[in-house]
Amino acid sequence: MKRIGVFICHCGINIAGTVDVKRVAEEVAKLDSVVYAQDYIYMCSDPGQALVREKIRQEKLDGIIIAACSPSLHESTFRTAAEEAGLNPWQCEIANIREQCSWVHTDRKKATEKAIRIVSTMVEKTRLNESLEPIPVSITKKALVIGGGIAGIQAALDIADSGHKVILVEKESSIGGHMAQLSETFPTLDCSQCILTPKMVAAGKHRNIQLMTYSEVEEVSGYVGNFNVRIRRKAPFVDWSTCTGCGLCMEKCPAKVPSEFDRGLSTHGAIYIPFPQAVPNKPVIDRESCIYFKTGKCRLCEKTCEIGAIKFDQEDQIIEEEIGAIITATGYETLPVTELQEYGAGEVPDVIDGLAFERLLSASGPTSGEVRRPSDGRVPKEVVFVQCAGSRDPERYRPYCSKICCMYTTKHALLYKHRVHDGQPYIFYIDIRTGGKGYEEFYHNAEQDEGIIYLRGKVAKIFRDGDKTIVWGTDTLTGRNVEIQADLVVLATAVVPRESTAELVKKLRIQTGPNGFLSEAHPKLRPVESINSGFFIAGVAQGPRDIPETVAQASGAACKVISLFSRDHLEQDPAIAWVDEELCGGCRICISVCPYDAREYDEEKCIARVNEALCEGCGSCVAACACGATQQRNLSDSQIKSMVTASLGGE
Amino acid sequence: MAKVAYYPGCALKERSSHLDTSARDSAVRLGFELDELPTWTCCGAVPPVSEERVMNLVAPSRILKDVRDSGRDVLITICDFCYNTLKRTNYSIRTNEITRKRINAFLADDEPERDYIEKKDAYWVDYTGEVRVVHLMEYLRDEIGYGNIREKLKRPLSGLKIAPYYGCVMLRPQNEIQLDEPENPSIIEDFIDSLGAETIRYPYRTECCGSYLSVSSPDASTRLCYRILTSAQQHGADAMVISCPLCFYNLDSRQKAIAEAYPDFKPIPVFYFTQLLSVALGVDEGRQGFERHFVDVAPVLDMILQGSGKGDRT
Repeated sequence: MKRIGVFICHCGINIAGTVDVKRVAEEVAKLDSVVYAQDYIYMCSDPGQALVREKIRQEKLDGIIIAACSPSLHESTFRTAAEEAGLNPWQCEIANIREQCSWVHTDRKKATEKAIRIVSTMVEKTRLNESLEPIPVSITKKALVIGGGIAGIQAALDIADSGHKVILVEKESSIGGHMAQLSETFPTLDCSQCILTPKMVAAGKHRNIQLMTYSEVEEVSGYVGNFNVRIRRKAPFVDWSTCTGCGLCMEKCPAKVPSEFDRGLSTHGAIYIPFPQAVPNKPVIDRESCIYFKTGKCRLCEKTCEIGAIKFDQEDQIIEEEIGAIITATGYETLPVTELQEYGAGEVPDVIDGLAFERLLSASGPTSGEVRRPSDGRVPKEVVFVQCAGSRDPERYRPYCSKICCMYTTKHALLYKHRVHDGQPYIFYIDIRTGGKGYEEFYHNAEQDEGIIYLRGKVAKIFRDGDKTIVWGTDTLTGRNVEIQADLVVLATAVVPRESTAELVKKLRIQTGPNGFLSEAHPKLRPVESINSGFFIAGVAQGPRDIPETVAQASGAACKVISLFSRDHLEQDPAIAWVDEELCGGCRICISVCPYDAREYDEEKCIARVNEALCEGCGSCVAACACGATQQRNLSDSQIKSMVTASLGGE
Repeated sequence: MAKVAYYPGCALKERSSHLDTSARDSAVRLGFELDELPTWTCCGAVPPVSEERVMNLVAPSRILKDVRDSGRDVLITICDFCYNTLKRTNYSIRTNEITRKRINAFLADDEPERDYIEKKDAYWVDYTGEVRVVHLMEYLRDEIGYGNIREKLKRPLSGLKIAPYYGCVMLRPQNEIQLDEPENPSIIEDFIDSLGAETIRYPYRTECCGSYLSVSSPDASTRLCYRILTSAQQHGADAMVISCPLCFYNLDSRQKAIAEAYPDFKPIPVFYFTQLLSVALGVDEGRQGFERHFVDVAPVLDMILQGSGKGDRT
């Protein structure tokens, strides 16, 4: 007979406020095998853990149950404590009486009864638990970072600096991301390019970083420490190894393509470098708009290039790499102005979005930093900024706050005022949210001293009337409707995940939340990890955030990778599926239901095996197995049967 | 000729009978017949905006169930309020199981009495939202096709500048109606285009005409209609086209009050879309009920008649 100890946590009043913990201890002490039951105010605290360790030794416990919060929070804490006291960690189980009991109930009597049943259920499980050993898994110490914006660059640099190899994959031909488009950054107004380009250059030159721009991840298989990744290097139709980046080809190209980097405010040729500070500074030919690819004639660039670097016959390359950990930092887009029907649906030329205004403000932008409106190039004298354009609007657009807009809109108005002294900026806002170091002061200064008119309310409609753009809004502080005859309107459009991220997460098999942003393993305590081990996340792909937060998170993700790589081998949880080879008939149902590709068929023995490194212990195959050959370690049929009985009150 | 079930609603039987007549005439010219339901009741009109969640849906549900029971799956309406009421009722029945059950309980309870009147002996089947409620404009766009209308025109409205006006209930709420994008619609513009006329873009096409404020605070409605009509004129409109009888009342009849309140106001004729369609398809202009308009349509009508020079009199 096993000697089981039960430790019931009060969690302050989180549990004890609703559940009578003393009674739970009294009741479970009566159960078979339970030789010790005790409650304590904070079981996860040092004295709490000390109590657990002490009682394991004193009472010679060979199984313990911690009745406390969710196992996702403290299972590892208590298993470590158990191990320190000489108990096998898989003999320690968590009975969740907080999230699944005290937090969701108010009736003390019923909640106490439920808590007793939850604990009894885990007693039944523990009674039959086997002692297990972790499964060692080897590890490839090379990281893949997907996305070459500031998040990806920072993560790649941090990992590379620790001595590990990194592949940095970027979809566009240059790294830099959105930060390269920005003029100046809040709240210090340093020039975005000036602080970013040194990092871009460093990433380009680092001996441990292999830059793969103009490339996309095609396929990912394998598991933590041992991923196999296929990367498509799109053909740039330029031999980058010989191209010197002289730029003559770009001057000669007769095609005119709206510049994505300049948000359509300028054009470039079909052969182009997105911006002058690009890393690598090599051009690509956009197949869609190249006259030669469309008509079979032209090849002007080829004639111009003295070293013969133009290669129209280049083809996409597929590169296969072995990788140990993957950071996804694919960034964001902004909601297209064309989707905002009440704001002109993109048909009003002087209604632009925040990123376009960044390009108008940027010294390297299409107007060399002079604020000139798109319709006629005039300097706008009345500029209306509209915050929450598509954010915080669950009925029509996005329900969430895009977080960065309050600050960048204030910055926009301020920079506009600095360039056009007699201009009048207006800002429509719902709330001004300035959570960040120096942010409130920045806003306060702009609001008090810079002559910006803040209007608290939403804009109902924007339309063109002659050469004016009319803005209808409401000022909820005075309760009046406002009409402004604006020269330019800047919409702080919602931050949205990139469309390509949805494709990518399917390949990686990581999760996204309801708004399409990447999901973290735990919103507070594991913010840079994906639920699937070996995958980490950084930057706005996870949710709207500003540059400092992005950089911090990228370093955090890099740190997680480095810590993973600091081990000689990984340990896999052994509480997974196993196969009784005598029973398995080789029907292969398990293979079809496994979401992790962890079941494989052994042709020789004609049975289905478990790849222990891949198995996550989800139990799908265990449930599907018709002949009972597949079993879950420490969740055997007999365990489940007695757990169900206990959870129903022991009858 | 294809017959399509048709629910006219109260306004089209009385004050706006010219909307009904012109719609029926146009339909015939386009090759289908608006087949009025043999029996029908009030659609409920305003109740959809009330707090009560089920009782107001009983009348429209009964109408829809009758259509279903007659073996038809499409119901055309023209009045924007009827369209809104019927379509939203359908939406509730389709999406809310409790509503569906309660409605059917009411309808079933009501059935024996109606049996007595109508001698119905069909087996009871719950109404689950099978009938598709279609606005006539929507039917023209999706079933007839604006391109086909263009081909059948006898008197294209070329040279005429028309301001579309949408009002409120034709497009909203979007998730339930799904006829067009309510903030930036195009269905009437495309319709005007199919008649060969020129569309006037002006900012007030989706702004409120005052709706029932016409009753409780007519001044508010006067102010709103003044802005809508004036803006359309400033952008060069010769006429305005609408589909809602209440909008028609506010935008046409109210021009008397507008002229009194705003001395600079100049009248502008307002048409039901079916009237312009019917005239353009060659139906006699005498059948359009223009005498019921407050604002004289003669200047615009002259433009149309002179524009084509010939009319295929019916």
